[in-house]
Amino acid sequence: MLKGKLKFIIAIGVIALTVSYLVYGGVKDTMVYYLTVEELMAQVPTVYDTKVRVSGVVVPGTIVKDTDGALEFKITDGSQTIDVAYDGIVPDIFADDVEAVVEGVYAKNDVFEADTLLAKCPTKYESTDSLYEEKESTY
Amino acid sequence: MVETGNISIFLALIISIYVLIASIYGAKARRRDLVRSAENGALAVCFLLIIATIALLHSLINLDFSLKYVALNTSTDLATIYRITSLWAGQAGSLLLWSLVLSAYTAIVVLQSRNKDRQLMPYVLATLATVSIFFIFVIAFIESPFEKLPFTPKEGRGLNPILQNIYMAIHPITLYIGYVGVTVPFAFGMGALLSGKLGDEWISYSRKWALFSWTFLAIGLLLGARWAYLELGWGGYWAWDPVENAAFMPWLAATAFIHSVMIQEKKGMLKKWNMSLIIITFFLAIFGTFITRSGIISSVHSFAQSDIGPLFLGFIAFILLFSFGMFLYRMKDLETENRFDSILSRESAFIFNNLLFLGAAFAVFLGTIFPILSEAVTGSKILVGSPYFNRVNVPIALVLIFLMGVGPLISWRKASLNNLVKNFLYPILLGILTVIVLLVLGMKDVKAIIAFALCAFVTGTVFTEFFRGTRVRMKRGENVVLAFTRLVSRNKRRYGGYIVHIGVVLIVIGVTASSVFVTEKQLTLNKGESMELRNYSLRFDGLSEYTTDAKNATIANITLFENGREIDIITPERNIYKYEGNREINQETEVALRSTYKDDLYVILSSYNTDGSATIRAMINPMVNWIWTGGLVLLLGAIITIWPSGTKSRQQAFVRYTVKEKDTTIKV
Repeated sequence: MLKGKLKFIIAIGVIALTVSYLVYGGVKDTMVYYLTVEELMAQVPTVYDTKVRVSGVVVPGTIVKDTDGALEFKITDGSQTIDVAYDGIVPDIFADDVEAVVEGVYAKNDVFEADTLLAKCPTKYESTDSLYEEKESTY
Repeated sequence: MVETGNISIFLALIISIYVLIASIYGAKARRRDLVRSAENGALAVCFLLIIATIALLHSLINLDFSLKYVALNTSTDLATIYRITSLWAGQAGSLLLWSLVLSAYTAIVVLQSRNKDRQLMPYVLATLATVSIFFIFVIAFIESPFEKLPFTPKEGRGLNPILQNIYMAIHPITLYIGYVGVTVPFAFGMGALLSGKLGDEWISYSRKWALFSWTFLAIGLLLGARWAYLELGWGGYWAWDPVENAAFMPWLAATAFIHSVMIQEKKGMLKKWNMSLIIITFFLAIFGTFITRSGIISSVHSFAQSDIGPLFLGFIAFILLFSFGMFLYRMKDLETENRFDSILSRESAFIFNNLLFLGAAFAVFLGTIFPILSEAVTGSKILVGSPYFNRVNVPIALVLIFLMGVGPLISWRKASLNNLVKNFLYPILLGILTVIVLLVLGMKDVKAIIAFALCAFVTGTVFTEFFRGTRVRMKRGENVVLAFTRLVSRNKRRYGGYIVHIGVVLIVIGVTASSVFVTEKQLTLNKGESMELRNYSLRFDGLSEYTTDAKNATIANITLFENGREIDIITPERNIYKYEGNREINQETEVALRSTYKDDLYVILSSYNTDGSATIRAMINPMVNWIWTGGLVLLLGAIITIWPSGTKSRQQAFVRYTVKEKDTTIKV
């Protein structure tokens, strides 16, 4: 039954190749560089109009909400700051000082036009710092 | 209570180590008394962890803020139910729960089979004990739920308001029950490898446990999706976030496993494959816990993070090396008893099903770890998001749905043309009819048309099976109802499985419709103005406010019209929490949802202004309800499949089955 076995190997090979092709094509067409603000600025002329994801902390007091719901704010990595424009669903935890992740295009007018906005809980979620602060204030 | 908890955990650790040593030594030296004491040890570990959990619950309910875990996860304004659910809101509590569930499973395994399979069982117990030792070690020394603070704060930090939701209360525990459940079939696999008893015992135990965990993973995933849909306010239920993928991957691998074990049971084939699959499934379950718990892959909702990453990685590496090492060592004993005869057979349909499920799991795995991988290889972090996952998984899913229709009806060994025509003619016609109807109705999305046609095809095959089975019984003089119920109750595994398939079909229909045909609109409205969305019209009647102890809520009052007729009043809210602790979230959107089987109207109050105007985002998500209903059907089918039945009736069903197979082959 060599013929039967060969058919199987071919069929399995076809599946494996198809899945690999899907993965390869999927990665190639949808991958997005994840940059810090500093890395983005370092690539400035070449990065224009390519889709990237950037994370940074929202600069307090820079969030401006338009009447039609559009949003403008600045994010920073401590040293450099960029302007972000966004129109879409705003996560509940989005606020001053929160780490925001934006995906979109850094346009030639130096405004990051985001089509996705995510907000992350501060990474030190299980930190006890806040409890200490409270203790100090109660004394 | 704190001391009680700590002491219980330490004792549980010591006894688990004893269980490991005693069961292995007892098996090697054929000392039944030692194995017996190991078994009793496992029961004691379960008892001790119950005490530890009760101790923590007691501290949570009574808000003992001197404990770090309590101070970080509760607050005085938290309702009792959510004080209880904070047990799994943080790292240490989740890990305690992991250990507790595992110890309970171990106890069940011991009680069910302490007098059976005496060669296999000690090694199963040893494997379970090893996993327990790891988790209890972590909660004893690294992430203790009973860690004290150097002072007692007056107020705790409280539970994130978006976690204060009934779905979020039950979703994590459902997932844990599934995740941890995967350990048991893995332990049976390892027990078989270690003891050399590679017969059918481990497969029959593993199958039941795998089905059980599979069901909980599936329901847990759906509950999580429902939570995200109701609470996160972005209008979707699945975002391919690493934390979601973490639970999805073991589910995919477990799905492959529960299908391929059938081939081993019935034909004695695929032994190596099944062993590898259960190792991979367990690896993915532990890896999932690791992703969720370590925060190594940035996710928007890993709520608890810490530095236990390296330890977990070490444990994962140990598991992989040890299990595949044992696998290679026993490889020669895992030879197949039968060969594949034809590519057109049920066996090969199952093989393809397995390859595709594993391919999907691999694709999701790769996508999930891609940022780490790319950073290690190229130095820059590259992400692949939802577009990647959809592109890869949608085609795989479509082929899998097709196979879901083919697998149950195609004959074993070699399908003849006769068999194919007899079984598939009507379902295929039903599929083609669906395509025609959808084209006539003006549907243009090719993938959606294919998905719906395949769903019709699968439904056709399942109904063929139910119809034929019932008709055969009716010929023996049973009435319809009796024939149908007996058909299902006497062949629980088979017909339960079909019901699960129908559940999956409903979910696929819901997912397809709601991801392809969304209508979305955002407008800022003044009082009295309306927005139109397909056949709905939303009239904004102004803002109002109300206050509770915990929050200030602002409501948009909206009157809803369908085709010009007033049907409902809906009230999306924005809440501002009064709590002045240190929570990350003090704002929350409360979605107004009007759900029917035709579509969901999903309305969010994006923002409101001082002049009384409001920005409203409204979406029509078609057929989302089908997903949740599908989940219930899936659960029903799974319960039927797992439901224990008397040995006698099962024997009967099996014999009949073989006879039927012979019939078809004779005709050929």
